[in-house]
Amino acid sequence: MKSFYTLLLVLLSSVIGYGQQSEKTVTGNFERVPFEQFVRQLEAQTASRIYFDPAAADSLFITLQVQQQPLRAVLQQALQNTALRFAIDGENRVFITKGTAIEADLLPGFFQQATPGATIAGTRPDDEQEQNREARRSRYVSAAEYKVYELGQGEAAGGKVTLAGHIRDSKSGEPVIGATIYSESPSIGTSTDQFGYYSLTLPAGRYDFKIRGLGIKNTRRQVILRGNAKLEIEVEEDITPLKEVVIEAEKDKNVSGMQMGLDKLDIKTMRQVPTAFGETDILRVVLTLPGVKSVGEGSTGLNVRGGATDQNLILFNDATIYNPSHLFGFFSAFNPDILQTVELYKSAIPAKYGGRLSSVLEISTREGNKKKFSGSGGIGPLTSRLTLEGPIIKDRSAFIISGRSSYSDWILRRLSNKSFRESSASFYDVTAHISHKINDKNSIYATGYLSTDRFRLASDTTYRYLNQTASLKWRHNFTNQFYGVLTGAFSHYGYDITSEKNEVNASRLEYAINQSSIRADFSYYPNSRHTIDFGGSSQLYHVKPGSLQPLGDASLIAPHVLAREQGVESALYVSDRIDLNQRLSVSLGLRYSLFNALGPRDVYRYASNDSRTENTIVDTLRYSAGKVMATYHGPEYRVSARYSLTDNSSVKVSYNRTRQYIHQLSNTASVSPTDIWKLSDYNIRPQVGDQYSIGYYRNLKSNTIEASVETYYKTLHDFVDYKSGATLILNDHIETDIVNARGKAYGVEVLVKKLTGKINGWVSYTYSRSLVQVNAGTPADQINGGRYYPSNFDKPHDVTLIGNYRFSRRFSSSLNFTYSTGRPITLPLARYYVGNSSRVYYSDRNAYRVPDYLRADIALNIEGNHKVKKLAHSSWTVGVYNLTGRKNPYSVYFRSENGQIRGYKLSIFGQPIPTVTYNFKF
Amino acid sequence: MHPFISLRRVWWPWCVLLLLSGCIDPYLPEGVGAAPNYLVVDGYLNSRGRSLIQLSRTYRLDQNTAPPRETGATLFIEQQDGPRFPLSETAPGTYTSIPLNFSTESNYRLYILTAEGKEYASAFMPAKVTPPIDSVTWRVNDNGLTIYVNSHDDTNSTQYYRWDFDETWEIVPTIIPQYEFRGGDVRLISVPYPDVCWGNSPSTAVRLAKTTNLSQDRIADFPLQSYPRTSERIGHKYSILVRQFAQTREEYQYWELLQKNTENIGTLFDPLPSQLTGNIRSLTDEGEVVLGYVGAYSRQEKRIFISRAELPGTWPYITGYESCSPPDTVLMKDVLAVFRGGFTVPVEQVFYSSGAIQGYTSTTLDCADCRKRGTAVRPNFWQ
Repeated sequence: MKSFYTLLLVLLSSVIGYGQQSEKTVTGNFERVPFEQFVRQLEAQTASRIYFDPAAADSLFITLQVQQQPLRAVLQQALQNTALRFAIDGENRVFITKGTAIEADLLPGFFQQATPGATIAGTRPDDEQEQNREARRSRYVSAAEYKVYELGQGEAAGGKVTLAGHIRDSKSGEPVIGATIYSESPSIGTSTDQFGYYSLTLPAGRYDFKIRGLGIKNTRRQVILRGNAKLEIEVEEDITPLKEVVIEAEKDKNVSGMQMGLDKLDIKTMRQVPTAFGETDILRVVLTLPGVKSVGEGSTGLNVRGGATDQNLILFNDATIYNPSHLFGFFSAFNPDILQTVELYKSAIPAKYGGRLSSVLEISTREGNKKKFSGSGGIGPLTSRLTLEGPIIKDRSAFIISGRSSYSDWILRRLSNKSFRESSASFYDVTAHISHKINDKNSIYATGYLSTDRFRLASDTTYRYLNQTASLKWRHNFTNQFYGVLTGAFSHYGYDITSEKNEVNASRLEYAINQSSIRADFSYYPNSRHTIDFGGSSQLYHVKPGSLQPLGDASLIAPHVLAREQGVESALYVSDRIDLNQRLSVSLGLRYSLFNALGPRDVYRYASNDSRTENTIVDTLRYSAGKVMATYHGPEYRVSARYSLTDNSSVKVSYNRTRQYIHQLSNTASVSPTDIWKLSDYNIRPQVGDQYSIGYYRNLKSNTIEASVETYYKTLHDFVDYKSGATLILNDHIETDIVNARGKAYGVEVLVKKLTGKINGWVSYTYSRSLVQVNAGTPADQINGGRYYPSNFDKPHDVTLIGNYRFSRRFSSSLNFTYSTGRPITLPLARYYVGNSSRVYYSDRNAYRVPDYLRADIALNIEGNHKVKKLAHSSWTVGVYNLTGRKNPYSVYFRSENGQIRGYKLSIFGQPIPTVTYNFKF
Repeated sequence: MHPFISLRRVWWPWCVLLLLSGCIDPYLPEGVGAAPNYLVVDGYLNSRGRSLIQLSRTYRLDQNTAPPRETGATLFIEQQDGPRFPLSETAPGTYTSIPLNFSTESNYRLYILTAEGKEYASAFMPAKVTPPIDSVTWRVNDNGLTIYVNSHDDTNSTQYYRWDFDETWEIVPTIIPQYEFRGGDVRLISVPYPDVCWGNSPSTAVRLAKTTNLSQDRIADFPLQSYPRTSERIGHKYSILVRQFAQTREEYQYWELLQKNTENIGTLFDPLPSQLTGNIRSLTDEGEVVLGYVGAYSRQEKRIFISRAELPGTWPYITGYESCSPPDTVLMKDVLAVFRGGFTVPVEQVFYSSGAIQGYTSTTLDCADCRKRGTAVRPNFWQ
């Protein structure tokens, strides 16, 4: 420490002291003196050491007269008109070289690097020298990287200490989620959680930590750790268009990370993918990932690894979202400007999450800029959006608020066709988020979200639906190794369909679900080998399953209101991630969930040996409010392991069981606003799923290319399918029309991803099957004779290519290509006449397929110039969606018209769609 | 019928809005273009009387004609390990047996040999005897009228019931034309239009009930048919002939599914597709699909009448001709042009205040001639 100061002082004095009185001067008269002799003279007079290459100066003779001149001036005169150059360092050593002068002053930081293990540390960032040095360094290198942090006081008992803190964006102060911090020797590492928090337990000593993450620049911190300590790390945002920056985000995570079946996207990756209306759409991007499909275009219902659309837990800052789409699925309901990351768990679902069988889609918003006020927005062909963010208290609390609205209503009213003028279609969404750091140990986060849609389309029927969520999180750090988060969340989803044109049957159909939940999650890092998560949650559901009410006095519609449903879903979980050795890590988790269906409600009991129909009701039981009508519970196992074969390849395996107590009933195969969510009850059992998966991961070309092969086998029990001829809307005894089905799904997913270089992107191929069997009950309840049949979303082959090419800092282009097998459908094949009525003969369920799906899109992003000081930064996105104009069928359906049944194919995008979007940021 | 349109229908304005042309194209999926030509068997083996079987074929979805009849087939009722009884083709595609009396100890099936030489047979079904209908009753409530059926089986052997019915009602036109257009001119009517007709409709709905979860095999007040108070069918005099059939459990389930299989497809409130075939198999080609379910049981009938006078006086008096009045006037100069088509007919003369003929009031043929809505031949059962 002392010596470092000394060194700095010497360095400084050599600069500052230049030309001062204390410096020795040179006096002499030299006449054709050989250079070597001249040097000896100077050395004698000034006590400097002069180094030179005799070979370079053997023919040089010096003629010079000087009186009391400083050494530097003398040398300057002497070496004039020669090829020799000189340099003087801080210790008055002179280096004479041919051609160019050497840099005799050491580069700042030279010593830290050059003296490994030296115990030099402790400069404070506000040191003057520090700032000087920073100013001279490239603007892309953080000064903090070269500083040695000496942290902690005294030796901890046993030598193990904990280092914890946050990784934050240096510009906005927002946390960086999922960044890894690790030391290579000894090999210890972890990644930040949703708060940007990390905690490492490790022996005291000196470490060189590397920090990597999506969307941030790689950085490092040198730390001498003496005791438990905190280290807040600020990282710089990775500005992709700049050529100097190479994206290396988590480049080895594919191989070394524990998690399998996890796809993680940050907003920058998502922005590059072309979409139909020029607006970044997270669900569209998620759909390009292997193992994720949807039944059709314009639908954002996800089918993950052969699971149904209701088997995905969509969390928006911890609140459940029931309908993640706008405009029947043209847009996803999340404003891209406010999003930070999207994580999709397809297998090895952490024990923390539960309640859905197939996947967890976790969407996190940004926290808002904690340092300065800023905004951004975009103008597209159908929608515009605006985001404002800024600090409330600098560095401690921030807000972000973002809104998006369509103006299609305005366009419709200007169309000449009368039926269009009578139409209306609009949606908007608003998200607000506030974060506040109370002190070092406590922070709170609040999010509110509202999204709503409304349509009236050339008819008398108005469709409307609404998502509302709110969540409040309190995070408390007990110690560096232990913290907890308490979350309360509320979600509401509802829709109504109003028909007003004909006053005789004017009516409104309504549906709503409310979910209130509270959860406590704890993370404990006892030592570097274990990461323990545990906690519990409980959520209360209130469902209004449907009501039809007359509108106006003239309406003859009889009111029909279905009885409400209530239920409580609770769970406890614990999981431990154990790093057994450098090659093998294991994660063991157990979740135990419990569901109670609650009164008040009437429950029908059916004859046990017969098909459930209205006629087989044997008893009606009336439960009063709060009475438990049915209880289901069971363990959910979450196990995964990783074994590193080599430094750049690994094998991961996982097994998980999931249970689901809420079921979606939809009479179209896609997610549409008229879906009904139904709780498990006395007659409807919860769904249970088991998934086994194994994957091989390999990074190629020094981690620039990630390749993986994952295969899985899944069994599903008791998920709901419909009996032949089911009626799902306004059905008082829905259990008579649905059956508990079994399913199996299996597949292979191959993904090759290149995230660096001028050309980047990914290509994936998926082979998967998803099959259903309804074999229980009477023959009338069986479907396709009790044989396995393809599910609605069984699309065996799927190829996706997302490619980006960067021409220059300002121009980049992207290409998107998708092919998949057409989805299965049930077709009417013929008519026949029986029982005085014409009937339709249908094929076996899902025996046919719609034509294959094929689409290519292209987009060009044009960035404005990159001057730092500018009022607003802007960019243009120009694109063409469905470049080939192929009419991919969204649905194939049949209508009875004038006694004839005709088939139609509906394609949503029948020709190429050009789009232009303007984005700005200030 | 629910007032909502198909969800799918709402798509198309969007396509136009987005300047996309041709979003909806007629589409015939591969393999569906050629409609399958399956044999369809409609009817039952009457265990106490004549059996009537209708044979037809499936036909294309986009065809709006009567189903093609299967003519020239040879049909037999076969008793298991016993004799067989022929059916004869009494009308194209309709085959009738002589009155038979099945043994309830035995099983029966229908055997079919089509004209092209293919053999089919239904599964052997136990012969059931349908218990008599105890009564057909009706009651009124605030909304309208409901007709109920009552039956029981002391031997507890029926349990599964099916009904169909025939409805007949009086039609009384409100406009009685005094004139007619004949020979290019309007003259006094020579043969007046009938002043009463009878409408008739067989039931297209399937009515089913079972008593398996009751301690007795008894049907009490099972609702068969309902009418709102504003229905024209109960405006004058109404009659319903209820037919009752005992079913086996399997046949009951078949009809339960068929009940949901209608032509209504594709809208939000319509039931999801159901597949069903029945109990008939091809003896020639195991994989061939044959549609229909042929059981063996007898038939019980009961007819009741309901006249307007029995219904509450506060109910509106509905004739079915409400949309016909008031009549329009056709001026003399337009007489030829208007009446020549035959669709519009003259009713009465209209005079100027001077006494000259201004023209004729007119109405549509549908309003004037009740034979457009029924038959003027009085049914022989009509009381």
